[in-house]
Amino acid sequence: MSKLNELTVKEALEGLKKKEFTSVDLVKSCLAQIEKFDPKIKAFLRVTSESAIKKAEEADKEISAKGAEAFVNKPLLGIPYAAKDNYSTKNIETTASSKVLEGYVPPFDATAIKKLNEAGAILLGKTNLDAFAHGSSTETSDFGTTFNPWDLSKVPGGSSGGSAAAVASHMVLFATGSETGGSTRGPASWCGVTGVKPSYGRVSRYGIVAMASSTDSPGPLTKTAEDAAVVLRVMAGKDPLDATSSPAEVPDYLAEGKSFSMKGVKIGRPVSYFEMELEEGTRKKIDEAIEVFKSLGAEIIDVDMLSPKYSIAVYTILQRSEVSSNLARLDGIRYGHDRNSFGFEAKKRIMLGAYTLSSGYYDAYYAKAQNRNKCTVRVL
Amino acid sequence: MDAMDSRKITIEEVKKIAQMSKLNIEGDEEKFSQLLSQTLEYIKILDELDTSKVSETFQVTGLTNVYQDGSQKVTLSREDALKNVKEIIRNLVATKGVFDRE
Repeated sequence: MSKLNELTVKEALEGLKKKEFTSVDLVKSCLAQIEKFDPKIKAFLRVTSESAIKKAEEADKEISAKGAEAFVNKPLLGIPYAAKDNYSTKNIETTASSKVLEGYVPPFDATAIKKLNEAGAILLGKTNLDAFAHGSSTETSDFGTTFNPWDLSKVPGGSSGGSAAAVASHMVLFATGSETGGSTRGPASWCGVTGVKPSYGRVSRYGIVAMASSTDSPGPLTKTAEDAAVVLRVMAGKDPLDATSSPAEVPDYLAEGKSFSMKGVKIGRPVSYFEMELEEGTRKKIDEAIEVFKSLGAEIIDVDMLSPKYSIAVYTILQRSEVSSNLARLDGIRYGHDRNSFGFEAKKRIMLGAYTLSSGYYDAYYAKAQNRNKCTVRVL
Repeated sequence: MDAMDSRKITIEEVKKIAQMSKLNIEGDEEKFSQLLSQTLEYIKILDELDTSKVSETFQVTGLTNVYQDGSQKVTLSREDALKNVKEIIRNLVATKGVFDRE
Protein backbone atom coordinates (compact mmCIF):
# COMPACT_ATOMS: atom_id res chain seq x y z
CA MET A 1 0.00 0.00 0.00
CA SER A 2 1.17 3.52 -0.71
CA LYS A 3 2.07 5.82 2.15
CA LEU A 4 -1.00 7.17 3.96
CA ASN A 5 -0.42 10.80 3.00
CA GLU A 6 -0.39 9.76 -0.66
CA LEU A 7 -3.94 8.40 -0.54
CA THR A 8 -6.85 10.14 -2.19
CA VAL A 9 -9.79 11.26 -0.04
CA LYS A 10 -11.81 8.33 -1.38
CA GLU A 11 -9.10 5.77 -0.56
CA ALA A 12 -8.51 7.24 2.89
CA LEU A 13 -12.23 7.12 3.72
CA GLU A 14 -12.37 3.45 2.70
CA GLY A 15 -9.34 2.66 4.86
CA LEU A 16 -10.75 4.50 7.86
CA LYS A 17 -14.10 2.70 7.50
CA LYS A 18 -12.36 -0.68 7.32
CA LYS A 19 -10.14 0.36 10.27
CA GLU A 20 -6.99 -0.42 8.30
CA PHE A 21 -5.45 2.68 9.87
CA THR A 22 -6.57 5.53 12.11
CA SER A 23 -7.10 9.23 11.50
CA VAL A 24 -4.15 9.86 13.84
CA ASP A 25 -1.97 7.72 11.51
CA LEU A 26 -3.23 9.74 8.55
CA VAL A 27 -2.63 13.12 10.20
CA LYS A 28 0.82 12.13 11.45
CA SER A 29 1.79 10.88 8.01
CA CYS A 30 0.83 14.26 6.50
CA LEU A 31 2.61 16.19 9.26
CA ALA A 32 5.79 14.15 8.64
CA GLN A 33 5.58 14.99 4.94
CA ILE A 34 5.16 18.70 5.76
CA GLU A 35 8.15 18.61 8.10
CA LYS A 36 10.26 16.89 5.49
CA PHE A 37 9.40 18.93 2.40
CA ASP A 38 7.83 22.22 3.38
CA PRO A 39 11.12 23.89 4.30
CA LYS A 40 11.86 23.69 0.56
CA ILE A 41 8.37 24.11 -0.95
CA LYS A 42 7.04 26.70 1.53
CA ALA A 43 3.40 25.89 0.89
CA PHE A 44 2.35 26.57 4.50
CA LEU A 45 2.28 29.83 6.42
CA ARG A 46 1.45 27.94 9.63
CA VAL A 47 0.78 24.37 10.65
CA THR A 48 -1.73 23.47 13.37
CA SER A 49 -0.25 20.11 14.43
CA GLU A 50 -1.45 20.08 18.01
CA SER A 51 -5.14 20.77 17.40
CA ALA A 52 -5.06 18.47 14.35
CA ILE A 53 -3.83 15.48 16.35
CA LYS A 54 -6.41 16.18 19.05
CA LYS A 55 -9.18 16.28 16.47
CA ALA A 56 -7.89 13.09 14.85
CA GLU A 57 -8.06 11.34 18.24
CA GLU A 58 -11.66 12.47 18.60
CA ALA A 59 -12.44 11.26 15.08
CA ASP A 60 -10.92 7.87 15.85
CA LYS A 61 -13.05 7.58 18.98
CA GLU A 62 -16.14 8.34 16.96
CA ILE A 63 -15.20 5.82 14.28
CA SER A 64 -14.50 3.04 16.77
CA ALA A 65 -17.78 3.77 18.59
CA LYS A 66 -20.08 4.08 15.57
CA GLY A 67 -18.20 2.31 12.76
CA ALA A 68 -19.22 3.18 9.19
CA GLU A 69 -22.33 4.86 10.61
CA ALA A 70 -20.08 7.75 11.76
CA PHE A 71 -19.52 8.79 8.13
CA VAL A 72 -23.19 9.24 7.29
CA ASN A 73 -23.38 12.75 8.73
CA LYS A 74 -19.65 13.37 8.56
CA PRO A 75 -18.60 12.50 5.01
CA LEU A 76 -15.02 13.73 5.56
CA LEU A 77 -14.47 12.37 9.07
CA GLY A 78 -10.78 12.12 9.95
CA ILE A 79 -9.50 13.54 6.61
CA PRO A 80 -6.66 16.11 6.90
CA TYR A 81 -6.84 19.25 4.76
CA ALA A 82 -5.26 22.67 4.37
CA ALA A 83 -7.00 26.03 3.95
CA LYS A 84 -5.82 28.92 1.82
CA ASP A 85 -4.93 31.72 4.21
CA ASN A 86 -7.70 34.01 2.96
CA TYR A 87 -10.24 31.68 4.62
CA SER A 88 -11.02 32.94 8.14
CA THR A 89 -10.28 30.27 10.72
CA LYS A 90 -11.50 30.72 14.28
CA ASN A 91 -8.65 31.19 16.76
CA ILE A 92 -6.06 30.57 14.02
CA GLU A 93 -4.14 33.51 12.55
CA THR A 94 -5.45 34.52 9.10
CA THR A 95 -3.40 36.97 7.03
CA ALA A 96 -4.29 36.47 3.35
CA SER A 97 -0.46 36.59 3.05
CA SER A 98 -0.49 40.33 3.78
CA LYS A 99 1.42 42.15 6.51
CA VAL A 100 -1.67 44.32 7.01
CA LEU A 101 -3.37 41.31 8.62
CA GLU A 102 -0.28 39.85 10.33
CA GLY A 103 -1.26 38.69 13.81
CA TYR A 104 -5.00 38.87 13.11
CA VAL A 105 -6.85 35.98 14.78
CA PRO A 106 -10.45 35.75 13.52
CA PRO A 107 -13.15 35.15 16.13
CA PHE A 108 -15.16 33.13 13.59
CA ASP A 109 -14.84 30.50 10.86
CA ALA A 110 -15.61 31.14 7.19
CA THR A 111 -18.79 29.23 6.30
CA ALA A 112 -16.86 26.86 4.00
CA ILE A 113 -14.43 26.07 6.85
CA LYS A 114 -17.33 25.56 9.27
CA LYS A 115 -18.95 23.11 6.84
CA LEU A 116 -15.70 21.19 6.29
CA ASN A 117 -15.05 20.98 10.04
CA GLU A 118 -18.62 19.88 10.73
CA ALA A 119 -18.17 17.18 8.08
CA GLY A 120 -15.28 15.87 10.18
CA ALA A 121 -12.36 17.15 8.07
CA ILE A 122 -9.26 18.10 10.08
CA LEU A 123 -7.45 21.39 9.41
CA LEU A 124 -3.67 20.91 9.26
CA GLY A 125 -2.72 24.49 8.51
CA LYS A 126 -2.98 27.61 6.37
CA THR A 127 -1.37 27.92 2.95
CA ASN A 128 0.41 30.72 1.14
CA LEU A 129 -1.13 32.90 -1.59
CA ASP A 130 -0.43 36.11 -3.43
CA ALA A 131 -1.17 38.84 -0.86
CA PHE A 132 -4.97 39.34 -0.87
CA ALA A 133 -4.98 36.90 -3.82
CA HIS A 134 -3.57 39.64 -6.07
CA GLY A 135 -1.52 37.57 -8.50
CA SER A 136 -0.99 34.27 -10.28
CA SER A 137 2.27 32.95 -8.81
CA THR A 138 2.39 33.55 -4.98
CA GLU A 139 5.22 36.00 -5.69
CA THR A 140 3.28 38.95 -4.26
CA SER A 141 2.91 37.18 -0.87
CA ASP A 142 4.37 39.34 1.91
CA PHE A 143 5.76 36.16 3.49
CA GLY A 144 7.78 34.74 0.59
CA THR A 145 7.12 32.72 -2.55
CA THR A 146 5.94 29.09 -2.67
CA PHE A 147 7.86 26.75 -4.96
CA ASN A 148 6.52 24.21 -7.40
CA PRO A 149 6.97 20.71 -5.91
CA TRP A 150 7.73 19.27 -9.37
CA ASP A 151 10.56 21.73 -9.96
CA LEU A 152 11.73 23.98 -7.14
CA SER A 153 13.11 26.53 -9.59
CA LYS A 154 9.56 27.28 -10.70
CA VAL A 155 6.50 28.86 -9.06
CA PRO A 156 3.31 26.87 -8.39
CA GLY A 157 0.92 29.35 -10.01
CA GLY A 158 -1.52 31.37 -7.95
CA SER A 159 -3.11 32.84 -6.17
CA SER A 160 -3.96 29.49 -4.48
CA GLY A 161 -0.36 28.34 -5.03
CA GLY A 162 0.30 27.13 -1.49
CA SER A 163 -2.81 24.94 -1.52
CA ALA A 164 -1.99 23.43 -4.93
CA ALA A 165 1.63 22.76 -3.93
CA ALA A 166 0.51 21.17 -0.62
CA VAL A 167 -1.87 18.77 -2.40
CA ALA A 168 0.62 17.97 -5.20
CA SER A 169 3.35 17.09 -2.68
CA HIS A 170 0.96 14.94 -0.60
CA MET A 171 1.21 17.13 2.50
CA VAL A 172 -2.59 17.03 2.79
CA LEU A 173 -5.35 15.02 1.12
CA PHE A 174 -7.09 18.14 -0.17
CA ALA A 175 -7.06 21.91 0.24
CA THR A 176 -9.30 24.90 -0.31
CA GLY A 177 -8.69 27.53 -2.95
CA SER A 178 -10.53 30.59 -4.20
CA GLU A 179 -10.80 32.03 -7.66
CA THR A 180 -11.73 35.32 -9.25
CA GLY A 181 -9.82 34.97 -12.50
CA GLY A 182 -7.89 31.68 -12.59
CA SER A 183 -6.70 31.54 -8.99
CA THR A 184 -7.81 27.93 -8.39
CA ARG A 185 -7.61 26.38 -11.85
CA GLY A 186 -4.26 28.04 -12.67
CA PRO A 187 -2.23 26.62 -9.77
CA ALA A 188 -4.07 23.29 -10.08
CA SER A 189 -2.82 23.08 -13.64
CA TRP A 190 0.71 24.22 -12.80
CA CYS A 191 0.99 21.65 -10.00
CA GLY A 192 -0.86 18.79 -11.72
CA VAL A 193 -3.82 18.52 -9.34
CA THR A 194 -7.57 18.98 -9.75
CA GLY A 195 -9.08 22.43 -9.12
CA VAL A 196 -12.70 23.46 -9.46
CA LYS A 197 -14.04 26.98 -9.84
CA PRO A 198 -17.72 26.51 -9.06
CA SER A 199 -20.38 28.88 -10.36
CA TYR A 200 -20.48 32.16 -8.46
CA GLY A 201 -22.72 31.75 -5.40
CA ARG A 202 -22.37 27.96 -5.19
CA VAL A 203 -19.96 28.21 -2.22
CA SER A 204 -20.51 30.93 0.40
CA ARG A 205 -18.04 33.80 0.44
CA TYR A 206 -18.71 34.54 4.11
CA GLY A 207 -15.44 34.78 6.02
CA ILE A 208 -13.21 34.76 2.96
CA VAL A 209 -11.05 37.87 2.75
CA ALA A 210 -12.81 39.75 -0.04
CA MET A 211 -11.01 40.51 -3.26
CA ALA A 212 -13.64 41.17 -5.96
CA SER A 213 -16.96 40.39 -4.32
CA SER A 214 -18.96 40.10 -7.53
CA THR A 215 -16.79 37.26 -8.83
CA ASP A 216 -14.96 35.59 -5.87
CA SER A 217 -15.65 31.83 -5.98
CA PRO A 218 -14.22 29.49 -3.33
CA GLY A 219 -13.60 25.89 -4.42
CA PRO A 220 -11.63 22.69 -3.74
CA LEU A 221 -8.14 21.54 -4.81
CA THR A 222 -7.86 17.77 -4.78
CA LYS A 223 -5.88 14.84 -6.18
CA THR A 224 -8.76 13.51 -8.32
CA ALA A 225 -12.03 14.67 -9.87
CA GLU A 226 -13.90 12.19 -7.65
CA ASP A 227 -12.43 13.83 -4.55
CA ALA A 228 -13.39 17.27 -5.87
CA ALA A 229 -16.99 16.06 -6.16
CA VAL A 230 -17.01 14.88 -2.54
CA VAL A 231 -15.35 18.01 -1.11
CA LEU A 232 -17.37 20.51 -3.18
CA ARG A 233 -20.60 18.90 -2.03
CA VAL A 234 -19.58 19.66 1.57
CA MET A 235 -18.43 23.24 0.86
CA ALA A 236 -21.43 24.24 -1.28
CA GLY A 237 -24.87 25.48 -0.28
CA LYS A 238 -27.08 28.40 0.64
CA ASP A 239 -25.71 30.50 3.49
CA PRO A 240 -27.82 33.10 5.29
CA LEU A 241 -24.58 35.01 5.94
CA ASP A 242 -23.91 35.47 2.21
CA ALA A 243 -26.91 36.97 0.42
CA THR A 244 -25.43 36.12 -2.98
CA SER A 245 -25.13 32.39 -2.21
CA SER A 246 -27.35 30.23 -4.40
CA PRO A 247 -30.51 28.68 -2.97
CA ALA A 248 -30.30 25.86 -5.55
CA GLU A 249 -30.08 22.42 -3.95
CA VAL A 250 -26.60 20.90 -3.79
CA PRO A 251 -26.60 17.72 -5.86
CA ASP A 252 -24.66 14.56 -5.09
CA TYR A 253 -21.91 15.42 -7.58
CA LEU A 254 -20.26 12.02 -7.27
CA ALA A 255 -23.44 10.05 -8.04
CA GLU A 256 -24.36 12.47 -10.82
CA GLY A 257 -20.90 12.21 -12.30
CA LYS A 258 -21.05 8.45 -12.36
CA SER A 259 -24.39 8.29 -14.16
CA PHE A 260 -23.59 11.19 -16.48
CA SER A 261 -23.34 10.45 -20.19
CA MET A 262 -21.44 12.62 -22.65
CA LYS A 263 -23.63 11.37 -25.48
CA GLY A 264 -25.29 14.32 -27.19
CA VAL A 265 -23.69 16.92 -24.92
CA LYS A 266 -22.66 20.06 -26.79
CA ILE A 267 -19.32 21.54 -25.75
CA GLY A 268 -18.42 25.02 -26.97
CA ARG A 269 -14.95 25.77 -28.22
CA PRO A 270 -14.36 29.55 -27.93
CA VAL A 271 -12.67 30.29 -31.24
CA SER A 272 -11.13 33.64 -30.22
CA TYR A 273 -9.27 31.95 -27.33
CA PHE A 274 -7.40 29.72 -29.74
CA GLU A 275 -6.38 32.69 -31.85
CA MET A 276 -4.32 33.96 -28.92
CA GLU A 277 -0.73 32.95 -28.40
CA LEU A 278 -0.82 29.55 -26.67
CA GLU A 279 1.98 27.36 -25.43
CA GLU A 280 2.27 24.37 -27.75
CA GLY A 281 1.86 21.88 -24.90
CA THR A 282 -1.31 23.59 -23.75
CA ARG A 283 -2.81 23.59 -27.23
CA LYS A 284 -1.93 19.92 -27.67
CA LYS A 285 -3.49 18.92 -24.34
CA ILE A 286 -6.71 20.77 -25.13
CA ASP A 287 -6.90 19.14 -28.56
CA GLU A 288 -6.39 15.75 -26.92
CA ALA A 289 -9.15 16.48 -24.42
CA ILE A 290 -11.46 17.47 -27.27
CA GLU A 291 -10.79 14.10 -28.92
CA VAL A 292 -11.59 12.28 -25.67
CA PHE A 293 -14.88 14.16 -25.32
CA LYS A 294 -15.72 13.37 -28.95
CA SER A 295 -15.02 9.67 -28.45
CA LEU A 296 -17.41 9.74 -25.49
CA GLY A 297 -20.17 11.02 -27.74
CA ALA A 298 -20.00 14.77 -27.14
CA GLU A 299 -20.47 17.25 -29.93
CA ILE A 300 -17.85 19.98 -30.20
CA ILE A 301 -19.12 23.26 -31.64
CA ASP A 302 -17.24 26.47 -32.28
CA VAL A 303 -18.66 29.39 -30.29
CA ASP A 304 -18.08 33.07 -30.63
CA MET A 305 -17.11 34.51 -27.25
CA LEU A 306 -15.82 37.95 -26.39
CA SER A 307 -12.11 37.77 -27.18
CA PRO A 308 -9.85 37.49 -24.10
CA LYS A 309 -8.11 40.70 -25.22
CA TYR A 310 -11.35 42.51 -24.31
CA SER A 311 -12.46 40.39 -21.36
CA ILE A 312 -9.09 40.82 -19.63
CA ALA A 313 -9.53 44.58 -19.90
CA VAL A 314 -13.06 44.30 -18.47
CA TYR A 315 -11.75 42.12 -15.66
CA THR A 316 -8.94 44.56 -14.91
CA ILE A 317 -11.31 47.48 -14.42
CA LEU A 318 -13.95 45.62 -12.41
CA GLN A 319 -11.42 43.75 -10.26
CA ARG A 320 -9.34 46.85 -9.41
CA SER A 321 -12.49 48.85 -8.66
CA GLU A 322 -13.81 46.20 -6.26
CA VAL A 323 -10.39 45.78 -4.68
CA SER A 324 -10.12 49.48 -3.90
CA SER A 325 -13.56 49.38 -2.30
CA ASN A 326 -13.00 46.11 -0.38
CA LEU A 327 -9.57 47.03 0.94
CA ALA A 328 -10.83 50.44 2.08
CA ARG A 329 -12.08 48.73 5.25
CA LEU A 330 -8.54 47.87 6.33
CA ASP A 331 -7.60 50.74 8.62
CA GLY A 332 -5.97 48.95 11.55
CA ILE A 333 -8.64 50.17 13.96
CA ARG A 334 -10.80 47.08 14.47
CA TYR A 335 -8.16 44.53 13.45
CA GLY A 336 -4.86 44.25 11.62
CA HIS A 337 -2.37 47.04 10.97
CA ASP A 338 -2.67 50.42 9.31
CA ARG A 339 -2.43 51.06 5.59
CA ASN A 340 1.34 51.57 5.60
CA SER A 341 1.65 47.77 5.65
CA PHE A 342 0.18 47.26 2.17
CA GLY A 343 2.59 45.76 -0.36
CA PHE A 344 3.34 47.34 -3.74
CA GLU A 345 0.89 45.23 -5.76
CA ALA A 346 -2.05 45.94 -3.41
CA LYS A 347 -1.26 49.68 -3.53
CA LYS A 348 -1.17 49.59 -7.32
CA ARG A 349 -4.53 47.84 -7.54
CA ILE A 350 -6.20 50.04 -4.93
CA MET A 351 -5.01 53.17 -6.74
CA LEU A 352 -6.15 52.06 -10.17
CA GLY A 353 -9.54 51.15 -8.71
CA ALA A 354 -9.81 54.45 -6.87
CA TYR A 355 -9.06 56.19 -10.16
CA THR A 356 -11.60 54.27 -12.28
CA LEU A 357 -14.29 54.75 -9.62
CA SER A 358 -13.60 58.40 -8.99
CA SER A 359 -16.02 61.07 -10.07
CA GLY A 360 -15.40 62.09 -13.64
CA TYR A 361 -13.92 58.74 -14.60
CA TYR A 362 -16.69 56.40 -13.40
CA ASP A 363 -18.63 56.62 -16.67
CA ALA A 364 -15.51 56.43 -18.78
CA TYR A 365 -14.23 53.28 -17.13
CA TYR A 366 -16.35 51.40 -14.55
CA ALA A 367 -19.75 51.87 -16.22
CA LYS A 368 -18.32 50.95 -19.61
CA ALA A 369 -16.77 47.82 -18.16
CA GLN A 370 -20.15 46.90 -16.69
CA ASN A 371 -21.63 47.17 -20.21
CA ARG A 372 -18.93 44.94 -21.62
CA ASN A 373 -19.37 42.55 -18.74
CA LYS A 374 -22.91 42.09 -19.94
CA CYS A 375 -21.54 41.16 -23.37
CA THR A 376 -19.42 38.49 -21.71
CA VAL A 377 -22.34 37.18 -19.71
CA ARG A 378 -24.63 37.14 -22.73
CA VAL A 379 -22.19 35.22 -24.84
CA LEU A 380 -21.67 32.74 -22.01
CA MET B 1 8.89 54.66 -22.72
CA ASP B 2 6.21 57.31 -23.10
CA ALA B 3 7.21 60.88 -22.70
CA MET B 4 5.92 62.35 -19.44
CA ASP B 5 3.26 64.55 -21.03
CA SER B 6 1.61 61.68 -22.92
CA ARG B 7 0.99 59.78 -19.71
CA LYS B 8 -2.59 59.15 -18.72
CA ILE B 9 -1.88 59.60 -15.04
CA THR B 10 0.58 62.28 -14.05
CA ILE B 11 2.70 62.23 -10.90
CA GLU B 12 0.43 64.94 -9.47
CA GLU B 13 -2.63 62.76 -10.08
CA VAL B 14 -0.88 59.75 -8.54
CA LYS B 15 -0.27 61.78 -5.40
CA LYS B 16 -3.92 62.78 -5.30
CA ILE B 17 -5.17 59.19 -5.74
CA ALA B 18 -2.77 57.95 -3.06
CA GLN B 19 -4.06 60.56 -0.63
CA MET B 20 -7.63 59.64 -1.49
CA SER B 21 -6.82 55.96 -0.86
CA LYS B 22 -4.88 56.80 2.32
CA LEU B 23 -1.73 55.19 1.02
CA ASN B 24 1.83 56.28 1.57
CA ILE B 25 3.67 55.95 -1.74
CA GLU B 26 6.57 58.28 -1.06
CA GLY B 27 9.44 57.58 -3.42
CA ASP B 28 7.35 55.42 -5.75
CA GLU B 29 5.32 58.21 -7.43
CA GLU B 30 7.19 57.93 -10.70
CA LYS B 31 6.83 54.15 -10.83
CA PHE B 32 3.10 54.26 -10.09
CA SER B 33 2.52 56.96 -12.70
CA GLN B 34 4.25 54.78 -15.28
CA LEU B 35 2.52 51.50 -14.32
CA LEU B 36 -1.00 52.93 -13.92
CA SER B 37 -0.67 54.78 -17.23
CA GLN B 38 0.35 51.53 -18.94
CA THR B 39 -2.72 49.75 -17.59
CA LEU B 40 -5.05 52.57 -18.65
CA GLU B 41 -3.44 52.52 -22.07
CA TYR B 42 -4.16 48.78 -22.32
CA ILE B 43 -7.80 48.98 -21.29
CA LYS B 44 -8.40 51.56 -24.00
CA ILE B 45 -8.88 48.51 -26.22
CA LEU B 46 -12.50 48.49 -24.98
CA ASP B 47 -13.22 51.57 -27.06
CA GLU B 48 -13.23 49.23 -30.06
CA LEU B 49 -16.50 47.72 -28.81
CA ASP B 50 -19.88 49.37 -29.22
CA THR B 51 -21.96 48.73 -26.12
CA SER B 52 -24.30 51.69 -26.44
CA LYS B 53 -27.27 49.32 -26.76
CA VAL B 54 -26.23 46.99 -23.94
CA SER B 55 -27.42 47.61 -20.40
CA GLU B 56 -25.12 47.37 -17.39
CA THR B 57 -24.59 44.15 -15.44
CA PHE B 58 -24.96 44.70 -11.73
CA GLN B 59 -25.12 41.07 -10.67
CA VAL B 60 -25.14 37.61 -12.19
CA THR B 61 -27.10 35.49 -9.71
CA GLY B 62 -30.59 36.68 -10.68
CA LEU B 63 -31.43 36.83 -6.97
CA THR B 64 -33.44 39.79 -5.75
CA ASN B 65 -34.56 40.90 -2.28
CA VAL B 66 -32.70 38.25 -0.30
CA TYR B 67 -33.78 38.22 3.33
CA GLN B 68 -32.68 36.21 6.33
CA ASP B 69 -35.38 34.20 8.07
CA GLY B 70 -34.63 35.85 11.40
CA SER B 71 -33.22 32.77 13.08
CA GLN B 72 -29.67 34.11 12.79
CA LYS B 73 -29.78 36.78 15.48
CA VAL B 74 -26.20 37.23 16.68
CA THR B 75 -23.18 36.48 14.55
CA LEU B 76 -20.46 37.81 16.84
CA SER B 77 -20.49 38.59 20.55
CA ARG B 78 -19.22 42.00 21.63
CA GLU B 79 -16.28 40.33 23.32
CA ASP B 80 -15.30 38.53 20.10
CA ALA B 81 -15.83 41.63 17.98
CA LEU B 82 -13.43 43.58 20.21
CA LYS B 83 -10.75 40.87 20.32
CA ASN B 84 -8.51 42.36 17.63
CA VAL B 85 -9.18 46.04 18.36
CA LYS B 86 -6.09 48.21 18.95
CA GLU B 87 -7.64 50.59 21.46
CA ILE B 88 -10.79 50.03 23.49
CA ILE B 89 -12.45 52.75 25.53
CA ARG B 90 -15.50 51.90 27.68
CA ASN B 91 -15.98 48.63 25.80
CA LEU B 92 -16.12 50.49 22.49
CA VAL B 93 -13.74 50.78 19.56
CA ALA B 94 -11.61 53.90 19.87
CA THR B 95 -10.86 55.65 16.58
CA LYS B 96 -8.85 58.68 15.66
CA GLY B 97 -10.79 61.94 15.70
CA VAL B 98 -12.36 62.87 12.38
CA PHE B 99 -11.89 66.61 12.91
CA ASP B 100 -8.71 68.33 14.05
CA ARG B 101 -6.63 65.31 13.12
CA GLU B 102 -2.90 65.68 13.47
